[in-house]
Amino acid sequence: MNCLQFRQAAGADPGHLSPEAAAHRDTCPACAEYLHDLLAMDVTIRRALEVPVTDGAAARNPRSSPVVPQRRWLALAASVVAGVLVGTVLWIGGPRASLAREVVNHVTHEPQSFAATHSDPAVVDRVLRAGGIRLRPGAADVTYANSCPFRGRIVPHLVVRTAHGPVTVLVLRDEPLTRSIRLNDDGFRGSLVPAGPGSIAVLGDSRSDLSEITARLTSAVEWVEVPGSRS
Amino acid sequence: MNAPLAGKDRERWFARVCEELRPDLFRFAFWLARDRQAAEDVVQESLLRAWRSRDSLDAVGSARQWLLTIVRREHARRFERKRLETVQVDQLVDEESPELAVAEEREVLDMRRAIMRLPDDYREPLVLQVLMGQTTHEIAAQLGLTQGAVLTRLFRARQKLRVELGLGEGADQGDDGSSLGEPT
Repeated sequence: MNCLQFRQAAGADPGHLSPEAAAHRDTCPACAEYLHDLLAMDVTIRRALEVPVTDGAAARNPRSSPVVPQRRWLALAASVVAGVLVGTVLWIGGPRASLAREVVNHVTHEPQSFAATHSDPAVVDRVLRAGGIRLRPGAADVTYANSCPFRGRIVPHLVVRTAHGPVTVLVLRDEPLTRSIRLNDDGFRGSLVPAGPGSIAVLGDSRSDLSEITARLTSAVEWVEVPGSRS
Repeated sequence: MNAPLAGKDRERWFARVCEELRPDLFRFAFWLARDRQAAEDVVQESLLRAWRSRDSLDAVGSARQWLLTIVRREHARRFERKRLETVQVDQLVDEESPELAVAEEREVLDMRRAIMRLPDDYREPLVLQVLMGQTTHEIAAQLGLTQGAVLTRLFRARQKLRVELGLGEGADQGDDGSSLGEPT
């Protein structure tokens, strides 16, 4: 793969590189920089696309709001509210469940991460720095590192070699949690645990008990300032 | 996870799904129509249609895609029915200025304007990919395109944004001397 082929592939889907593209990135500093810029631009694109959502009917413009549809909407809204009230138990944990699903979805869409057996220390260092974290020396054998777009942010996506096989780690600085969430979905098992200002997701295959690894990895993460952050 | 089979449980489940996905549906509709009022109307009608057809939805995992498809069809149906007049994009941007000018960082504001100006064919797959988290395969299925065509549109969308925002020359020449014609 040459630089142009890489840039074409990365320009179409910067968050999901093929193994060939990932290999090119690891050997071409200019393309690695290009990808970094694309990922940063995707964060801005996502923030731009997230236009504020108004409160449905309450925010409607009366000049152009058709009366009948609005009444129909209110009828539907009433049934929705009733459903929501009755289903309060189901509601609790909705956002957390959504986060958990997105973590698993993200990992399943980056299968090349499991195939990697070695990562360039310079790449690992760049990914960690971009995510505003450090790993205590010797704490983990990182075989894959990528800066991935996730919920409008760039997050470190790591795979570490363990006795239980490859374990995926997503460091989610902007996803704070008050308590841990167990993950068991789509062949993955693990947990989302509160850590630093946000949380960390640790996933392995569904047969592994990762509690010890999770504790070790989360304690190995040191939180530092994200480069270019304004806070 | 499967949907509850029937009755009130199913209605409650469906209402919850709709409410949870409503912000995404609104944003998708907004970027199709580039108009807040039109987006609200499209989402309103789409949810009603979805409610009537709720028995045809069989799993949580497919709800999002199913509802996005309904929104897309509803937008297309309205567009065809009303024969919306074509307006200049600059005028559209100005009319949406309250939407665009909320307290945001300058780069987000500039990006929002640039996305407004993207051709529909480029903007829609970009929204589905970046905002809705769809894979290029899913986008191809949603839009009735080949995966190659989706990749090309996404590449060109980002190229246009980079050029418009002065973020670079694009990717028409590589540092290793390689060059590329039109993406396939």
